[in-house]
Amino acid sequence: MKYIVIGAIALLVLFVIAQYNRLVRLNITVDEAFAQIEVQLKRRADLIPNLVETVKGYAKHEQGTFDAVVAARAKATSASTVADVAAADGALTNALRGLLAVAEAYPDLKASANFLSLQEELSTTENKVSFARQFYNDNVRSLNTAVKTIPTSFFAGLAKVSAREFYEVENPTDRNVPNVKF
Amino acid sequence: MAENNFRALESANKGKTYFLLAAMGALTWLVAYAALTYFGAGTTSTIVPIAVGFALIGVWGSYYGSDKLVLTMTGAKLITREDAPELFNVIEEVVIASGLPMPKVAIVEDSAPNAFATGRNPEHALIAFTTRILEVMDRDELQGVIAHEMSHVANRDTLVSAVAATTAGAIAILSDFLTRMMWFGGGRRDRDQNQNPLALVVSLAVLILAPIAAMLLKSAISRKREALADATAVSFTRNPAGLRKALEVLAADSTVVRQKSNAVAHIWIESPLDGKSVSKLFSTHPPIEERIATLRAMESLGPTSS
Repeated sequence: MKYIVIGAIALLVLFVIAQYNRLVRLNITVDEAFAQIEVQLKRRADLIPNLVETVKGYAKHEQGTFDAVVAARAKATSASTVADVAAADGALTNALRGLLAVAEAYPDLKASANFLSLQEELSTTENKVSFARQFYNDNVRSLNTAVKTIPTSFFAGLAKVSAREFYEVENPTDRNVPNVKF
Repeated sequence: MAENNFRALESANKGKTYFLLAAMGALTWLVAYAALTYFGAGTTSTIVPIAVGFALIGVWGSYYGSDKLVLTMTGAKLITREDAPELFNVIEEVVIASGLPMPKVAIVEDSAPNAFATGRNPEHALIAFTTRILEVMDRDELQGVIAHEMSHVANRDTLVSAVAATTAGAIAILSDFLTRMMWFGGGRRDRDQNQNPLALVVSLAVLILAPIAAMLLKSAISRKREALADATAVSFTRNPAGLRKALEVLAADSTVVRQKSNAVAHIWIESPLDGKSVSKLFSTHPPIEERIATLRAMESLGPTSS
């Protein structure tokens, strides 16, 4: 009888440890996933001055588009909270689409080797940003589910883990086709 | 977010793998039991550990060193970012989507479009592409192929197939030993005891048929893992159309990878073995048309938001 009680207590302790560790692990994964988004956003921000200069070389009269990109980039590099970063990210994505749409009108630019390699870099970075976003949101969903469902919900307070914010690119024009001015 | 189709498909295929692995375990037990009935406890308790031991050593070695072994077997060469920057870009995208570490990347000089993944764990993963697949596929298709290969890594399919191969191997060795012993009349120390002749006949049948059953189970597990990898790939890219188009390119292409070694057939994205010579039950991959149809069904669900 004594051993049964000891065994039951040991199992209970192991169970609590497993739940606690699961929550902490999920929380760390969410942090890492957000860091990954920031890494990719930084990479994209670093590409922009070069891209703008290259496009300027061929398309001098598109100052409005350049200004929009530079402004959006400035905003994106200064954002810090999840919601701010997400909003600035969405705005910059839009501005960049506008820039690439402008480039469509200049065949010389489109054919230049420098532009092609920048375009490849930019499109892979855009993909990385969106995959990092997706990975983050998937992990936030797992974490939030764990925080709100039994039995992990009992240990959320103990592990100091709470539901996290989704990374949502809030931008009404996100789904619209960018304006192309000729 | 509603339950997405790829999530349902993933859990269904995982469930089926567990069922098949359990069936494999049951088959091993059945063989051991048949040996016990036919030969008695003395012989069985020697032979069974030997067979399992042989199979374990053989398969474990190839599992542990799978990344290096497969490199030699397929003639794949490791490459770095400088050799193929665009390929690395697409791989890095999928790596971020999957949350896995960056795998080693290799190229196989071959005129057939194909790809594979191996490695004992995500930290030792290797994905390889034939030179031809890089020529014929566009970015989206390549992304689908890479996602399929990274799914094998994520789902630890090298481990799953090693477990399947070990059990199938042990059963084959066991059955081989025991049938040989039967012809030479050895081992049956319990011959004088009164035994149910029906039990003896059944045991004999089990011993002879078990290796075929084990092969069938092993192929079935491989097919389920391929279907699972397709579903996981969609969970990474959220773009079933990319992988679907890639499979259509593979289906339309009639050239097959030059080395038709059975030993490494299961690791390629498209089976390199001629479909007609292998019956559907023994094939390591689900029919490609079936895979395309499943992906097409996922596309019709519309874009899944992240």
